[in-house]
Amino acid sequence: MKDFSNNQEIKLSLNRNLINWATTFLNKYGTIVVTLILVAISIASYIVYYKNGLGLAYNDARSHLDIGRRVVEGLKPGIAQLGSVWLPLTHILMTLTIWNDFMWHSGLSGAILSMGAFIYTGLLIYLFLRRLNVGLFGRFVGVGIFVANINVLYLQSTAMTELLLLATMTAGTYYLLLWYQDNKIIHLISSAFWIMLSTLIRYDGWFLFFFAAMIIFFQTWKQKNYRTAEGMFVLFCTLGGFGIFLWLLWNQLIFKDALYFAFGPYSAYAQQNQLESAGVLATKGNFGFSLKTYWWALAYNIGFFTLLVGVLGAAVLWLDKKLKPSVRIATSALIAPFIFNVIALYLGHSVLYIQGLSGNSLFNVRYGIMMMPSIAIFIGYLIDQWLAIRTVLVGLLIFVTLFQFANGDAVTIDDARVGSSQKNVSEVSGWLQKNVPGQAGFILISAASHDAIIFSSGLPMKRFIHEGTGAYWESATTNPDRWARWIVLRTYSDDDQTYRLIKNTEGFKHYDLVQSFPFADIYQIKGEYLKDLNTEPILGKQK
Amino acid sequence: MIKKIKFNSKFFTALFFVFCLIILAISLRGMAGNPDSLALNSPVWKDDGPLELSPERGRYALMYSVMEDKSMSFSLPIAKFATPDLGLAGDKFVSLFAPGISYLIIPGYEIGKMFNLSQVGAFFIITLFALFNAILVRAIAISLGAKKIAATIAAAIFLFATPAYAYAVSLYQHHVSVFLILLSLYLLSRWPNKFWSLALVWFLTAAAIPIDYPNLFLLFPIGIFSLGKIISLKKTEQKYILSVKYIKIATLLAMVLPIAFFLWFNWSSYGNPFQLSGTLPAVKAIDASGKPVNVPLPYDLEAVTKKDLPEKNAIGFFRTRNLLNGFYELIISEDRGITNFTPVILFGLAGLYLLVKKRSLLATTLVAVVGMNVLLYAMWGDPYGGWAFGARYLIPSYALLAIGLAIMLTEWRYQYLLLIVFLYFASQSVWINSLGAITTSKNPPKIEVLGLEKITGHEEKYTYDRNWQYLTTTGSKSFVYNTYLKDKISPIKFHNVISVSVSGLIITLTALLYLTKNKKNERLF
Repeated sequence: MKDFSNNQEIKLSLNRNLINWATTFLNKYGTIVVTLILVAISIASYIVYYKNGLGLAYNDARSHLDIGRRVVEGLKPGIAQLGSVWLPLTHILMTLTIWNDFMWHSGLSGAILSMGAFIYTGLLIYLFLRRLNVGLFGRFVGVGIFVANINVLYLQSTAMTELLLLATMTAGTYYLLLWYQDNKIIHLISSAFWIMLSTLIRYDGWFLFFFAAMIIFFQTWKQKNYRTAEGMFVLFCTLGGFGIFLWLLWNQLIFKDALYFAFGPYSAYAQQNQLESAGVLATKGNFGFSLKTYWWALAYNIGFFTLLVGVLGAAVLWLDKKLKPSVRIATSALIAPFIFNVIALYLGHSVLYIQGLSGNSLFNVRYGIMMMPSIAIFIGYLIDQWLAIRTVLVGLLIFVTLFQFANGDAVTIDDARVGSSQKNVSEVSGWLQKNVPGQAGFILISAASHDAIIFSSGLPMKRFIHEGTGAYWESATTNPDRWARWIVLRTYSDDDQTYRLIKNTEGFKHYDLVQSFPFADIYQIKGEYLKDLNTEPILGKQK
Repeated sequence: MIKKIKFNSKFFTALFFVFCLIILAISLRGMAGNPDSLALNSPVWKDDGPLELSPERGRYALMYSVMEDKSMSFSLPIAKFATPDLGLAGDKFVSLFAPGISYLIIPGYEIGKMFNLSQVGAFFIITLFALFNAILVRAIAISLGAKKIAATIAAAIFLFATPAYAYAVSLYQHHVSVFLILLSLYLLSRWPNKFWSLALVWFLTAAAIPIDYPNLFLLFPIGIFSLGKIISLKKTEQKYILSVKYIKIATLLAMVLPIAFFLWFNWSSYGNPFQLSGTLPAVKAIDASGKPVNVPLPYDLEAVTKKDLPEKNAIGFFRTRNLLNGFYELIISEDRGITNFTPVILFGLAGLYLLVKKRSLLATTLVAVVGMNVLLYAMWGDPYGGWAFGARYLIPSYALLAIGLAIMLTEWRYQYLLLIVFLYFASQSVWINSLGAITTSKNPPKIEVLGLEKITGHEEKYTYDRNWQYLTTTGSKSFVYNTYLKDKISPIKFHNVISVSVSGLIITLTALLYLTKNKKNERLF
């Protein structure tokens, strides 16, 4: 409708009913709209990072994919391949698709989990804000903050565990909020279920489990009585702690030590001990530095301005008298990842290097992404409350975000490409790709040290003899010349299991060093010993 | 007693600004003479004189080249004078700075030249802009509801208690940028619906770009606010009405002239109308044979210690990952931070909060410009502003926070404890910034100090301690002091006279503001 008035104006009028209809529609079908948008962004983002080759830049991403693959394919496939280095849920879920070579080598098998988690987390942010009575605009801003973060978009396109952890932890916290609001047992059970899943992804979930259990106990005790509190606590812990129980049991059954994951040779504890003895675990025992390190990680991942606005939003939320105290307590679970990471750094259970604080290196900087959904929720709430300034805030957030995308300023990509998390294994894997196909024989290699090489070689898992191949590994490390046509290892490094085990064997003398690269050397058996070499998996199924 | 004084508001306002002009004039850095291109290369004019840093030299060089050599590219002596911020366009040496300031100071240069004061005349143009800014701060504050005395105090704080003072007496772009921002805001608040007013705002917005490229972002919120005068959305009970005042679309034509000037300059200088000077290859020094080299000369400390900036494209300078360090540097660092150089201006935050609570659209625009200003330079790889006095990039924010300060003083003018605290910080800030104004802006950022000490072999200060050291060992760079007062008073006494006079004025005005507590007195102010 166009109306030329006397005042040199063109007026376009829009019936309020139409706007009202749109608002009602979004209120009613907002979750579907959000989901569709998130699906589109997720797919587009994956394609971008797949095409530019960054999707598999993280060494850990390749290792995760290899673990999943070893469960279904290799010299000794099976559930035991899940090992104890990482918690198992991501790898278990990968087994649904990783049998397919494309899904394995494209990384899609892992990325698809991250993508699903990304979509679900975005949706949870929307639902969380709706539960806090935040209007449509605030809800969409909250989701937008999460989605328009370049680090989130990158991690959702990789086979890393962060997004899956974010989804399960946010879901656990969301259902906890629902339970605080409605007091329905089903919500408590749902919360326990999601938190249980998070405990099977990363140890951050364990802290959330203890944190949630505590606030459930004290809140029920305060509102009702001790006996009810005890009952709720037991109910929550039974399901919520089931994953932890299973993990302890798994370690006991497979490795004969329930705490093998914590203190075993491949544990984070062992890694941190090495770092500590090298004098590069500066956060251990230094609370101030631990706090500063994690704060920097948050700022680099979330964006410093976004983080500041989020902190302001948290203050507004927790000081808002309109919200019931119980709701405010429930939302305190949103900062559990922050508390966990600072404590973990302080106790030396975690390692995080930040450029500028830890020399010029980056390592595990991505841990800073763990507060992203919480910050998005806090900002959504702030935008809803501060009507007077919300246009400016949103404008400034967009301004900063545009620069982040324009400059491709993603710390997680730097962490993957140039930080300590990366390994340029393309030379070694390229050699294997060029020389191994078409020739029979196995490759002896330590997966703990060189999983990225195994992945990048593009060879089937069954061509490799590694720590998880049982009798093959034991035989090959005793008599390498009977089992391995090629050996990949870091010469003179006792950290490399293969080198440590074969360096003094007679068989190792029967190899020629054919190539030497910065990350590993390649040995090939001398021609005269080929006749005694086993090139078929003759040991078959073994224990 | 108060009642007995017949206050003539206009007279006292005029008197106040005359006072400001006198203080600015006696602080103005400079030397007598009409230096030619060879003389300009001597340390007397460069390191030891008023053209101490490359941003000043680069802009002065272009002005000199245009006026004396009739060329936009530099002769060899002028190119040497402009290093280390010198650009190379083809085989020609050119300025790395936006050209606007160089053209604006031409009248001052020409008039000054007649009195054998060419550099002083050129610098004085910037001083005039600073004075206009103080006038505009006061005017905008009043239009937003501040008491006249509170607005006057705010103008004084902006001018003398922030690093804006040091950049009002030297050759930088900041005060001109601030002028364009403030005048646009004033026009929009005073004549919001006038055709000519809107046209002038668009003209100023476009003119800001050849003054300093980042102005494009700083004036963006003002552009949005102005667009709201052309396109608006109203809500009635039945419908939403989007109205477009199509006649006012013609006001956008006012942007043509400044943009045309900018494109013409780029085309004439670099052969490409869309080439930004900041994206040209930089020449750090010129060797004995007159060839450009990318290694600074060893005696050029500013260039030797300068950190390499990120890749040279228009947006590559700004990275979100710099925000953490950028915020730290601009807000709380020892070498540049607001809390160290001008803590008093932070009172303005409270005023902006009070304004925003009233849901004034203009106030929202002020906050947006402040936010844009802080974010933009916090994202920049060099938030320090090179060698500088205080956080010079935040001068637009100081002006807008000063407006907030006026509102804060108006709202809480009877809180005497608050006023005492305010006066303490105001006096401290005046002392610090007058020290910077009459000495030097050549303060290295802290991160460069270790490298610098290795070269010089002695301790290098990087806060305003360096200015105190300069004052007590070398003296002042003030033209008036060096020409007329040097033999009569010590530099320390000169500094004391300035800082005590300004602080005295602020204390007096604040006391008068407090006295409005007596309702009978209120109408007098």
